[in-house]
Amino acid sequence: MRVRPAPRVIAVRDGSMVPFYLLFSISILAGFVGAMSGMGGGIILIPALTLMGIDIKHAIAVSILSVIATSSGSASAYVRDHITNLKVGMFLEMFTIVGALAGAAITLVSTQRPLYIAFGAVLLGSWLALLIAGHETWRGGQQDAMTRWLELEGSYPDAALGAEIHYKARRAYFGAPAMFGAGMIAGLLGIGAGAVKVLIHDLIMGLPPKVSTTTSNLIIGVTALAGTSVYLAAGMIEPGLAAPVILGVVLGAFLGTRLLVRMTNEAVRRFFLLVLIVLAVEMIYRGLRGL
Amino acid sequence: MDSTQPPVGLQEEEAEARQWEMDTLVGYILLSGVLLSMALVAAGLLWRWMATGSLGIEYRLAGMNLFEVVLHDVRLALAGAVRPRMLVTSGIVVLMLTPFFRVAASVVYFAAVLKNWKYTVFTSIVLIVLTYSLFLR
Repeated sequence: MRVRPAPRVIAVRDGSMVPFYLLFSISILAGFVGAMSGMGGGIILIPALTLMGIDIKHAIAVSILSVIATSSGSASAYVRDHITNLKVGMFLEMFTIVGALAGAAITLVSTQRPLYIAFGAVLLGSWLALLIAGHETWRGGQQDAMTRWLELEGSYPDAALGAEIHYKARRAYFGAPAMFGAGMIAGLLGIGAGAVKVLIHDLIMGLPPKVSTTTSNLIIGVTALAGTSVYLAAGMIEPGLAAPVILGVVLGAFLGTRLLVRMTNEAVRRFFLLVLIVLAVEMIYRGLRGL
Repeated sequence: MDSTQPPVGLQEEEAEARQWEMDTLVGYILLSGVLLSMALVAAGLLWRWMATGSLGIEYRLAGMNLFEVVLHDVRLALAGAVRPRMLVTSGIVVLMLTPFFRVAASVVYFAAVLKNWKYTVFTSIVLIVLTYSLFLR
């Protein structure tokens, strides 16, 4: 790739000038790291694509398309293992998809710099969340009338404990509007925003960790579809860019899931903390400096 | 299972068995959608590479919504003009339709099998909003 001719000029708009092998390998890496860390590919993919000179809005559009693939791929396994709670997923999707439509619409009319800063802020938030991540043990709580009416409860087979775990969700009235916000971040920045969804499931709705991550995975696919359709209608999904990116991200995510079993959580966590903070500083710096 | 409200007209155990079937159905829709989509994109790129020695595809889906893209592809296919780029586009279409079909199947399942009207309404709302978004211009 050529050196950028001058500041503020986007040399590469749609990735047609970036060589295929480079797009493909960066996407594999993003999918790989995303799957290992559980944070999804977009959070690495978008900064990497913008570093190659691709316009941030196109990077967001192609990233959210790839999110459909990675989330559907992993959700398929969890659903068949009967860990995902379909009712919790379907109920909360009503809110995330509207959020995603709004978020994507804002991105379309926004200028570039606020998007860099917002992305950097989300990276910084993820870094903080990972830094202070405690290992709270899940315990059930009292279910309120509304959540009971919504039938948000269930059970799943826990392989580690060798038992069927029964649980009842709660506070759906806080969870639902919070999920609108999570969907908005997803549509706005082209990421799955899985970390935000898991936080809402855990802290507000009191779901067991396994149910909360797997159900978040299911919701992400539909949320990403709502966001993608806005970017598609705006003509921002470029098949030439999308083809290497979605193939690479899915391949990387597949490899990352396989390797996850063999690596310690602490090594993954330290590595990801470093990656997140570097990318956060870089994105915010570019947003403030004016690309 | 200590469910307090089994769906009307179904015994608790049967409801749970049906729920498990639904999990399996949803799981296979998602899996086959992603695999088919990846296969189409990969086949398109491979064909392009064998035909031209290059992997770059330079074109955009200028402001078309999903149904217009599908229509465009179908028209090309009917005209016998199956091209690498059409395979790549179909892969993207299949990928986008995967969660859409998952929701559509859920509506049918909640309505016809589980007879859970509450969730039939909820999933229908999701389906309507998604359909609307796919028709955006």
